[in-house]
Amino acid sequence: METLAQGAASAAGQTSGGKFLTFTLGNEEYGVPVLKVREIIKVMDITQVPQVPPHVLGVINLRGKVIPVIDLRRKFGFPATEYTERTCIIVVDVELSPVRVMMGIVVDTVSEVLNVSDAEMEETPDFGGRATTDYILGLAKVKGTVKILLELDRVLGSDGQLGRF
Amino acid sequence: MADPNQVQPPRAEDELEAFTADPELAGMFIADATDHLGTLEATILKLEAAPTDLKLVNDIFRPFHTVKGNAGVLGITSIQEFAHKIETLLDLARSGKHPMGPAEIDLVLKTVDLLKLIIDELPARAAGRPVTDVSARRRELMGRVDALIAGATPPPSSRQEPAAVAAEPAPTAGDESGRGKINRAEDQSTVKVDTKKLDNLVDMVGELVIAQAILAEDPALRSSDERLNRRLAHVKRITSDLQRDTMAMRMVPIRQTFQKMSRLARDLSRKFEKPCTLKLTGEETELDRKVVEHLTDPLMHMMRNAIDHGIEAPEVRRAAGKSETAELKLRALHRAGFIVVEIADDGAGLDTEQILARGRKLGLVPEDAQLDPSDVHQLIFQPGFSTAATVTELSGRGVGMDVVRRNIEALRGRIDIQTVRGQGTTFSIQLPLTLAIVDGILLAVGSNRFVIPTFAVQESFRPLPEQVQTLQGQACMVQVRDRLFPLLHLGEVFNIPGARQRISEGTVIICHDSGKCVALAVDELIGKQEVVIKGLGEMFRDVRGIAGGAILGDGRIGLILDTGGLLSLVGKTASQVAA
Repeated sequence: METLAQGAASAAGQTSGGKFLTFTLGNEEYGVPVLKVREIIKVMDITQVPQVPPHVLGVINLRGKVIPVIDLRRKFGFPATEYTERTCIIVVDVELSPVRVMMGIVVDTVSEVLNVSDAEMEETPDFGGRATTDYILGLAKVKGTVKILLELDRVLGSDGQLGRF
Repeated sequence: MADPNQVQPPRAEDELEAFTADPELAGMFIADATDHLGTLEATILKLEAAPTDLKLVNDIFRPFHTVKGNAGVLGITSIQEFAHKIETLLDLARSGKHPMGPAEIDLVLKTVDLLKLIIDELPARAAGRPVTDVSARRRELMGRVDALIAGATPPPSSRQEPAAVAAEPAPTAGDESGRGKINRAEDQSTVKVDTKKLDNLVDMVGELVIAQAILAEDPALRSSDERLNRRLAHVKRITSDLQRDTMAMRMVPIRQTFQKMSRLARDLSRKFEKPCTLKLTGEETELDRKVVEHLTDPLMHMMRNAIDHGIEAPEVRRAAGKSETAELKLRALHRAGFIVVEIADDGAGLDTEQILARGRKLGLVPEDAQLDPSDVHQLIFQPGFSTAATVTELSGRGVGMDVVRRNIEALRGRIDIQTVRGQGTTFSIQLPLTLAIVDGILLAVGSNRFVIPTFAVQESFRPLPEQVQTLQGQACMVQVRDRLFPLLHLGEVFNIPGARQRISEGTVIICHDSGKCVALAVDELIGKQEVVIKGLGEMFRDVRGIAGGAILGDGRIGLILDTGGLLSLVGKTASQVAA
């Protein structure tokens, strides 16, 4: 498969299994490497910042630190929905070369921490340009459902350089 | 500077007079020099791998220059001359006139070693204890520099400068072997801390203060329970003590900067043959470390200006009935929660006519405009403005007063001029006590909160409908007394839902930056508040009009407005501004 090259581009061994925090967006299930996750918080007051794309919601006060918050729904083109009591912000570490920053991502619900074995990992198939796949780490088929595992640095990396848009 | 061929070497005790007299400064000099020499070694080794990299040569040049300068301030001629020698070689190298070969690199490394040794032993020397005799080694190295510059191969031993400058009367100790024997004379009474860590600490303590305030105001805790109140008061006291002390950690006296200035004044006064004295006051005034660092360049520039352009030639002064020796004053003081640094000369004063003429010629002032003298004087802060007919070597180099002002405004300070023709000019720089905290005005637009730094605000008022001037149905200007200000509707330009549309129902704030003003339409003013400034991070680097964020009393974030950025948004609609 062609996407092998992309797999190799991400750090070696990452396409293999491991622990992932899974969450939902609409009907889809996603996962991010647990090691990237700092904490999960309830949606709190988000301060809007002007002149940014719609999926950048603004900044929050995380115990005295000001961190940006991204709406993953809008980022991936889902229709916006009202926040419910299950809506969460997952605080993650993102590598924006050369710095590492904390960011919050808003998701519909947080599911569980999932152990994905190497056997359950599948490389991202080529969707023929219908969907952007370069930020997908791989797909995991666990207990009959498919989890889309995200390469966070790629998902959010471009937001770190908004100025280049 | 001493003639390198003078026969009588300065005596070490004389040379160390200033060093012994001011232990604090001496300690700083040693710490600073050791630091510089430490980084030097790494850079030299890098240069060895890439000998043609002129940037590296420059990186080597600068620490030498600093060490030399600082040694000069303390009057340690032997170090100063030694460093100067190497600097000459490096200067040739960085301008591409002399390639850095293995011999040169080796020489520079040896120099660093020797300088380290000399500096390490300074306290011992000052205390009259025996130290390594380095004069022979130093002479040899200096000789090799000359030889290299002359294009010859390095001589095996010293012969270029017989009995040259300075010799430490060191009674004992062999050369290399002596190094290990010298014990560090003083115990370490200071700890070096990364400034980033210190900044973080100051930030966190700032948060603690705010968190404590929030807690104290929590309705659940507002009880008449005497015991609880006492404990809360105790926490409050500790918090504010902690804040004061952490702030103090970042504060340094302005003394070092002032001393650099007095050296500069001395050199310039000789160079321009304008005798002058410099009077320093308030050297012990403490400023935030960062402020001091960024203040040196503007001050140096203003000092050059004062001596080169401000002070008249001695014969002119005599003719005007003034003392031939000009008097310069540099002082620092606290005034109303700010630090004020003043640099004053008793020279000719600004020539209002000439500045106005020049301003007209440059198109900065309309031909028919009538300006107050003080407005005219502000023109010298405009980019590209210079009235000196001839560009002198020092004053004509690089930065002008526009850069001075920009530097000062970057420190959230402001600069003013008072000048009297024939009597002199005083520049006063007003700076905040610290960069971590800004005194701001909290304002509301829709449900959003913003903080505008108080120093940027000129006035605020509720506008009458007739004060608002419209253009094609859009409000665009506000008239205050006789002046029209461009209007910026914050809710509109930042696309804030729920912002008041009608300007006359809200509040207008006139704020200024770099001499330009803008009228900011907001919903309402909430009050004054001191806030800890937080960067919003790389992600929002290109957002215009926002300088950072601040955590407000209720735990929410208020965005701190940047007047300069706001000015650039005038006349643009939200869609033009959006990313």
